Amino acid sequence: MNPVVMKLAQRQLWAQLRTVEWRALLLATWLAITLTTFLSLLSDRLEQGLLRESASVLGADLVLRSSRPLDEQRILDAQQAGLETTQVIQFPTMVGAGENLVLSSARIVTAPYPLRGEIVTEPTQGTAVPPPGETWVEPRILEQLQIDVGDQIQFGYVDLTVTARMLTSPDRGSGFRSLSPHVLVNKADLEQSGVLAPGSRAQFRLLMAGDADLITAFEAELQPKLEQYERVLSLTSDQPVTGNALGNGMSYLRLSALTALLLSALTIMLALRRFSNGQQGRSALLMSMGLQPREVVRLYLCQLLIAALVIGAAGTLSGVIFERIADYWISDLLPQALPSANWWSYLSGAALGFAMLILLGLPPTLEQARVPVAQLLRGEDIGTQTSSGRSLYALSLALLGATILLFLQAPLAAFLLLLALGICGILFGWVAQQLLHWIAKPLAKQMTLGRLLKIRLSQQRRWHRLQSAVVVLLLTLLSVVWVSRQDLLQEWQSQFPDDVPNYFVINIQDWQKPGLDEFLEQRQIETDLYPMIRGRLTELNDAPIRPQLNEEQLKDGALRRELNLTWRDTMPEHNQLLSGQWWDADSSEPQISIERDMLEDLGLKLGDKLGFDVGGQPVSGTITSIREVQWESFRPNFYVIFSRQALENYPGTWITSFKLAEDERTAATDMLREFPSLTLIDIDQLLEQLAGWLQRLADSSAMVLGLTLACGLILIAVTLLQALEQRRFEAALLQTLGSTSKQTQRLDLLEFALLGAVCGALAAASAEVVLAALHYNLLRVDVRLHPELWFSLPPLAVMLFVGIGFALRTPLRIEQCYHILRSKT
Amino acid sequence: MNAPATVLETQNLAKSFRSAGREFELFKSLNLSVKSGETLAIVGKSGAGKSTLLSLLAGLDVPTSGSISLDGQRLDTLDDATRAKLRSEQIAFIFQSFHLLPELDAQANVALPLEIRNEPNAMQKAADWLIRVGLGERLDHTPSQLSGGEQQRVAIARAFAGEPKVLFADEPTGNLDEETGNQIVDQLFAFNEQQGTTLILITHDPELAARCQRRILLVNGTLEER
Repeated sequence: MNPVVMKLAQRQLWAQLRTVEWRALLLATWLAITLTTFLSLLSDRLEQGLLRESASVLGADLVLRSSRPLDEQRILDAQQAGLETTQVIQFPTMVGAGENLVLSSARIVTAPYPLRGEIVTEPTQGTAVPPPGETWVEPRILEQLQIDVGDQIQFGYVDLTVTARMLTSPDRGSGFRSLSPHVLVNKADLEQSGVLAPGSRAQFRLLMAGDADLITAFEAELQPKLEQYERVLSLTSDQPVTGNALGNGMSYLRLSALTALLLSALTIMLALRRFSNGQQGRSALLMSMGLQPREVVRLYLCQLLIAALVIGAAGTLSGVIFERIADYWISDLLPQALPSANWWSYLSGAALGFAMLILLGLPPTLEQARVPVAQLLRGEDIGTQTSSGRSLYALSLALLGATILLFLQAPLAAFLLLLALGICGILFGWVAQQLLHWIAKPLAKQMTLGRLLKIRLSQQRRWHRLQSAVVVLLLTLLSVVWVSRQDLLQEWQSQFPDDVPNYFVINIQDWQKPGLDEFLEQRQIETDLYPMIRGRLTELNDAPIRPQLNEEQLKDGALRRELNLTWRDTMPEHNQLLSGQWWDADSSEPQISIERDMLEDLGLKLGDKLGFDVGGQPVSGTITSIREVQWESFRPNFYVIFSRQALENYPGTWITSFKLAEDERTAATDMLREFPSLTLIDIDQLLEQLAGWLQRLADSSAMVLGLTLACGLILIAVTLLQALEQRRFEAALLQTLGSTSKQTQRLDLLEFALLGAVCGALAAASAEVVLAALHYNLLRVDVRLHPELWFSLPPLAVMLFVGIGFALRTPLRIEQCYHILRSKT
Repeated sequence: MNAPATVLETQNLAKSFRSAGREFELFKSLNLSVKSGETLAIVGKSGAGKSTLLSLLAGLDVPTSGSISLDGQRLDTLDDATRAKLRSEQIAFIFQSFHLLPELDAQANVALPLEIRNEPNAMQKAADWLIRVGLGERLDHTPSQLSGGEQQRVAIARAFAGEPKVLFADEPTGNLDEETGNQIVDQLFAFNEQQGTTLILITHDPELAARCQRRILLVNGTLEER
């Protein structure tokens, strides 16, 4: 490259750093890079840590996962294929120490374990897995039980000594299972503990390792033989687990950057437009001195490149810092430290920023080369954009749009969100402008300033539309997050009546039931025990059900997993009979009462006969009633209830829930001491954990929102800047024609204040709509108005516009006016 | 018949400004007296200070020393608000680049100074004046829909609609071709005579200057009557 061009580019950039448009441009790019780096790092690490079944977390080369005890044949097959194997059982269980209880995820293991990766403990241990009588637990267990290494925990009927703190370990399982703190227990202690009985909810895993060829061959051999309750995970199928709420949440994390990216792109575009218009004289001058048009293009590209590199480095650094802060916030909610991010996640923000600067910078840069030298020297205006210039702009914007959608990794959702933002933006802009005119009309009749205001409003209408769209959207977003953070969870919790159960007990064996009944009766704990028998829906009216259903119905969850079935003589009090009739307790006819949604989803009706496979045995019954179930009642709920005779003799466990007041909570500890193998789930503890997550989520989103807000403010500043010369000229003319500088200042103040008030009111209205929708649809609680929004948003928006407007506005002295008018000849 | 009264008068008018740490003196003792209804051309080289003099005479700038009186009232001692009021009631301008507000139509542009001083029937007066300058058919046209000559005629209408005592015109034909320029000048002088306005004109054009009753050359900080 011509060294003169390079030198000129550096000097130019240095000089232009002092202009507002370059500062805005760099600031917007920096914010965009910071935010995208932050979000890609965070989502990458969360995804790797919680969702991805990769080599580092799988603990093996190949894993067979089953919801039933492993088939011996599978293990033999694997061993015959030359693979090393080990078995793991994982299930939720309460562990206790003294008065404290915590819901944990137990992993029952035998050496060798794991087959790949390693368990890091503190202090370091000499064995692969805890020896019998000992356990290794994750730090949160120790914290919540308020014990230390060397103390004992109660694990079912056995007491285990905690010999190490487990810092990281592979094979943690996926999804919500991986969120509870883990305890690692030797298989030799399992039977004596009595925590795992037939029918208990557990996941059984066969870990396998070996040569890549053997693994591939065995996986291919295994795949077609899999039962519905089995699944194979391997390194080649290194896919995030989809379909669960956690996975969905993660994939939308990056979407939160969309608004900020949009605002930054707009800022960069406007700043570059203003910059490029201001540079045309300079370009013409350089070309008149002999610089080739392509050298002019190089000059400006070079300047953009230098800026992109510097700001890319700065943005990546601040993104990393933000990510560390977020990591610190959420670390105590996560069971173990998150793995480090992939190297490309560090670069993605800078790459996106680079793409934004170059793609948005290319059209105005190429325009510089087309500036007609002679025309400019004659002092004439540059012609408006040519059609080829416009199509170049369109192409650049399309490319940038595609890049952003790709980055967000959920292109369809991002596109829909973009569309929604666009439509809302246009609508808000239009409504705001109509409101401004409606307000200005009576003002114009009454005062001079009002008439000038009317002129100003029509002059600035394009900018007002953009400014109000941005401000209304941002303030709406801000209010919704702010209000939800404060009271959504609170309102949700407060809607439950006082007697809603706060404990669930599962895995109650038949032989424990009489003792437990007595225990509950003694303490006057009101409850109702339900038998729970697992079965798979197989037949409808004595024929296989699958061929009788359409494609949509076949996707129903009830067909893909085992259902929890129960039997009863009377209908549960918290259910409601919709149609049909409940059976007589002594009826010998096998009958079924079905939940309404399941009935509708599968297209069933009263009188249909359903057949189930319960542990290999067929059980069937006729639908004689339809129920409505309140899932949020925190009581055992069932899709399918059989009459007693149909199901009584099948093996299963019992489930119940009950309410313990704050001062009765010791009953829970007593129960676990007396019946150590029961799984007691403390709902309050779960809700607290959920509240903790929501709180941190809100904190993290506040961080994203803060950066988005900053992008919005810069955009407002740039849009005000665009019209600044026009405003100065107008003020000069008005002052020359007889206005005072106070009057023009008041005019600006009036304009900004009105714009702010209108935007604030619109934002309050739209926030109310969004919050009402959230309350009504998501939380199903009563919609209420938020007067605090109506009081706070308009003044906030007024302050915002007046603040930025007056920061950019330099007061015009009367003696400057004539010079301004003369300079515009 | 009484001799026309003096409408604009300066005594020992001086203007200097600081630039790059140095004091520049543009002029130090200008004395000028303009009678009501007079037409006066101020000519001089670029940089002689013509525009600054015009700004001072119009109350848009304050002198370093000396006094300016408009209709017997001292301009240099008034506060901004009173000067603004005086400007809006007694002074009008015609600029080289017309300076119409692009978003307003011709009628609203002419009405603008009348509205600034809260005059009733501003729009009606504006329409009357546009008819007088020959743009009766173009009331609702915006500046971009008018030619340069038409825009300057709107500016003339705007200047006279306020019935000013003094009209300042700064190179009024500078952006127009010769023929259009001549038509504009004819119209300007015709209305000036009808309205009895005092016209102070800045120009490079000797022909235009020649049409004024008095010509003053600003050179080396002094005024020379030609």
